[in-house]
Amino acid sequence: MTITEPTTEGPKTEGPLELESGREALAERPLGVLTRPQGGRGWRDWLSTVDHKKIGIMYGVSAMVFFVVGGIEALLIRLQLAVPNGGVLSADVYNQVFTMHGVTMVFLFIMPLAAAFANYLIPLQIGARDVAFPRLNALSYWVWLSGAIFLNSSWIVGGGGADCGWFCYSPNSGVTFSPSHGVDFYAIGLLIAGIASLVSAINLIVTCLNMRAPGMDLFRMPVMTWMLLITQFLLLFALPVITVALFLLMFDRLFDASFFNPDAGADPLLWQHLFWIFGHPEVYIIILPAFGVVSEVIPTFSRKPIFGYTFMVFSGIAIGFMGWGVWAHHMFVSGIGPISVAAFSLSTMFIAVPTGVKVLNWLATMWGGQIRFTTAMLFAVGTVAMFTIGGLSGVTHALAPADTQQTDTYYIVAHFHYVIFGGGVLGLMGGLYYWWPKIFGYMLNERRGKINFWLMLIGFNLTFGPMHILGLQGMSRRIDTYSSGFGFEFWNMVATIGSFIIAVSVVVLFHNIWKSKREAADLPPPGPDPWDARSLEWMVPSPVPEHNFDEVPTVEGLDEWWHRKYSFDDDGRVVQIATAEEAAQDGSAKGVHLPAPSFWPLVLAVGLPLIGYGLIFNLWLCVPGGLLVGMGIFAWALEPVDDPDATHDHHDDDHGDDDDDHDDTASAPVAPGDDTASAPVAPGEQQGGE
Amino acid sequence: MSGFIRTVSSRPCSRRRPEGLILGLALVLTGCAADAELDTFQDQSETARQINDLAIPVFIVAGVVLVLVCGAILWMSVKNRVPADDDYEGEFPTQVSHNNRLEIGWTLGPFVIMVVIAVATLVTHLAINSTEANAIEIQVEVDGEDGKEGKVVTWEPRVVVVGQQWWWEYRYYLTKDITTDDLGDPWNLPEADIVTAGQMVIPTGEEVELIITSRDVIHSHWIPALNGKKDAVPGLYTPWKIEADEPGVYFGQCTEFCGLSHSRMRMQAVAVTPSAFQEWIHAQMTPATMPTDENSAEYRGMQVFSNFCASCHLINGLNDSDYNGAETVSGSAPDLTHFAGRTTFAGGVFNTYNPDGSLNDDDLAAWIRNPDDVKENYADDLPEGALPRGMPDMGLSERQIDDVIALLATLGPRPTAAQILATEVE
Repeated sequence: MTITEPTTEGPKTEGPLELESGREALAERPLGVLTRPQGGRGWRDWLSTVDHKKIGIMYGVSAMVFFVVGGIEALLIRLQLAVPNGGVLSADVYNQVFTMHGVTMVFLFIMPLAAAFANYLIPLQIGARDVAFPRLNALSYWVWLSGAIFLNSSWIVGGGGADCGWFCYSPNSGVTFSPSHGVDFYAIGLLIAGIASLVSAINLIVTCLNMRAPGMDLFRMPVMTWMLLITQFLLLFALPVITVALFLLMFDRLFDASFFNPDAGADPLLWQHLFWIFGHPEVYIIILPAFGVVSEVIPTFSRKPIFGYTFMVFSGIAIGFMGWGVWAHHMFVSGIGPISVAAFSLSTMFIAVPTGVKVLNWLATMWGGQIRFTTAMLFAVGTVAMFTIGGLSGVTHALAPADTQQTDTYYIVAHFHYVIFGGGVLGLMGGLYYWWPKIFGYMLNERRGKINFWLMLIGFNLTFGPMHILGLQGMSRRIDTYSSGFGFEFWNMVATIGSFIIAVSVVVLFHNIWKSKREAADLPPPGPDPWDARSLEWMVPSPVPEHNFDEVPTVEGLDEWWHRKYSFDDDGRVVQIATAEEAAQDGSAKGVHLPAPSFWPLVLAVGLPLIGYGLIFNLWLCVPGGLLVGMGIFAWALEPVDDPDATHDHHDDDHGDDDDDHDDTASAPVAPGDDTASAPVAPGEQQGGE
Repeated sequence: MSGFIRTVSSRPCSRRRPEGLILGLALVLTGCAADAELDTFQDQSETARQINDLAIPVFIVAGVVLVLVCGAILWMSVKNRVPADDDYEGEFPTQVSHNNRLEIGWTLGPFVIMVVIAVATLVTHLAINSTEANAIEIQVEVDGEDGKEGKVVTWEPRVVVVGQQWWWEYRYYLTKDITTDDLGDPWNLPEADIVTAGQMVIPTGEEVELIITSRDVIHSHWIPALNGKKDAVPGLYTPWKIEADEPGVYFGQCTEFCGLSHSRMRMQAVAVTPSAFQEWIHAQMTPATMPTDENSAEYRGMQVFSNFCASCHLINGLNDSDYNGAETVSGSAPDLTHFAGRTTFAGGVFNTYNPDGSLNDDDLAAWIRNPDDVKENYADDLPEGALPRGMPDMGLSERQIDDVIALLATLGPRPTAAQILATEVE
């Protein structure tokens, strides 16, 4: 994926951010190393940025890189299983590949891709200039990236990937049964990545709660923001559980503890409970952001408001809440007693109710609308249909007796791919096409986009549809090969062909990104609002200027941006009152005070994998790692609050207060609260409207 | 052994339920016409039928919902479609933002459907988790005052199922009544009357209680035609049951990921008529007869076995007096006393016999020559102090291999031709 730095394109090198003066003053800083970097151009800007948009883009790019990695692993799996007794991979390598495929796709692709949208969109959709804690935001990204690289480095330095499955059940994850270092990398890599998600969750929750523009009540937030907010709460509560489990696993493996060793009297089911108390909410962590995308895209391209906003929000909350009470449905055959099985069977069935509400409300949004089938809309509608299949197959194994036949077969593989790929990935792909012009300032070609969509939809169904049949035919999961004679041959071949069609569709996506960028020079710019959309991010120029809003908007209702363009006449008909260009901000504000960049999040993040390598190979390596982390924390704390010259700028600047009628703390071009208590304007003060 | 009326693979596809049409379609999709030995829809027991009787109507309901949702999408895609270009300037549709009555309706509607499904689920759940108190009379020979003497015992059909990497052990306690409490830990189970590996033999028409456990990692015991699966958890005894209507060979596969050779951890339930089951019991409780002709291949094979195999494998009648479990991580290795009485070996993976009834000495020789070559395991090139998981390469010469195979072939009684054919899946 080719990303052009927004700083180099468009006419805004004169930019809204006049940090030039700050750059000149650099030499006079008394604190030497602890002065804050000034951003600048090129890669150094990206390494030190605290801009939520750049961090979002970096999340997205990294996620797509790992999408390719996980995709190659998926293709290897499908090659191996294309024919009976496949000889592409040995059993050992196959086990590593399917484990790393799952881990990569969940933790290194979908979660960060959703994080990319969350980072980029939440501040824009709530009318903020950045997240609540910009440096913590950078920390989240760098820590996640270091965890991701650490995890994958086990291919090179750890003697192969983890071979215990993404679920890594004990005691198979113990040293006796998995003697290579793969599982160590799994445990520590996910611990590191977990820090990132936890920090990010806190950051985005605070952002949603404290940084909303004046008038942006919680129930005026777009559904996308709501779903992302619920996701962050799920992360906040789920990650500590998996962290505990991974910590115990790490101690078992590296320091001979016996938390999961049945020889020493441990209960192997403890791991399963811990893993799935995290693992089931994780499903909703993956799917809710996609639900959010669909809830933005369908109204826009149906030219109607979302149907039943309140129901959409509360069903999301209900799903998030009920998601905590169903984890043991992953364990119906694990030996938990029949009463537990019955209880979790029932709780699982009823989570279908709020999920069904969402599907029906999307349909009702389209009902009677005027549907424009752009690529984004195709992906969104595809998400609804494919997720419905995944949801319905989910109901079939909520029936505990039926699940005793279905669990750990390819029927489950089919089910969760319909949920995660058909729901999550297709939804986020739709988001990519939808917000691409907003993020990068050029449109993705629609014709190629549609080829991308149809190839992906067809490939997806050819790959995972047959797996329903294979599973009911009795094909077990996680088997590295199968014998002929069980009737598995035909559909496995179909699935393998389908997987390569998906691969082609991903190539088309990358080609589209590259080609559209080249063609963009000859096309008119997309303008602030190419889709005639409804939420606040569309009232600022594309690509979004670094300061987001020239002036923080005052929000008067749901779909604020749409209501600035349209009104109703006496007959209740929609009439346009302003074009998007008229209603939008032009991004020309100058001297908006923004949090200054920092290198310390990156320094801190580099230390963590060193500690990880130290724990696995040689404890002495922990010393430099620990020093980097300690230094990062101290320097972070001692770093000047902000660029002194930029503060001057801010006080001298009188922009933005003249042309609006709300109180000026709300609209003043202040920093979105930096993550230091002594920021020039505390976050609370900005939020005069609350 | 007799009593093989028909086998699964030769069974014609037939259903007796009214949902025949949909099932027919499902069966076409699942390739029923060919071999589909693990097919969950080809239920062969009361329990498996109860599960399908619950699942199939729900599949149908789910199918109807899917058709309605996709139909609505398609219908709107045609009816409400407008040009996708962004300068479309048609009049806006009515801006309906919500309809509480409708939304409450489609919250309650699915709720009611779910309540119905939940009730049906609970009924089936209780049924498949209940056990019936059954008992059959079995003629056994026990040690009496004057050597062996016949005795009739009342056996509540119960088999202790023990998983380990990468094969299943089945233990029958006939002469003593064993419950979960008596079993202790799975590494030191009480001595059983019959111990077999890879294949479990059960009498038809009787519900057989399973007590499932594991000696190393978690496995899952699944014979789809007879019942759903249940995990084998080290240190835990999980109750389950199994039953077969008709004699046959029913295929199974470990379904909980258990490491390297998970895919090659299979098993079969061999259901036989009660009279054939009585014969099987008798044969199994008889120790193997050892060769005496010193010039025979079998005799040499016995010596090879004693030198290379006896530290892990047991043959009752040869090394039972000084056998103390296997030098493996799980502490166990398949009991070979009646090796040739089973139609598969090496974890239910390879056929012991060719379809024509001759010994499958190709696979046998390949397995003994280098087990890791044909079924991956962790038994060779181990780090210092590590125990093998699986069978190591013992470095036997071709002659020694042939001799051991000659010995193994004597460890009958030989299964019936019908049984051998039913083991063929191709």
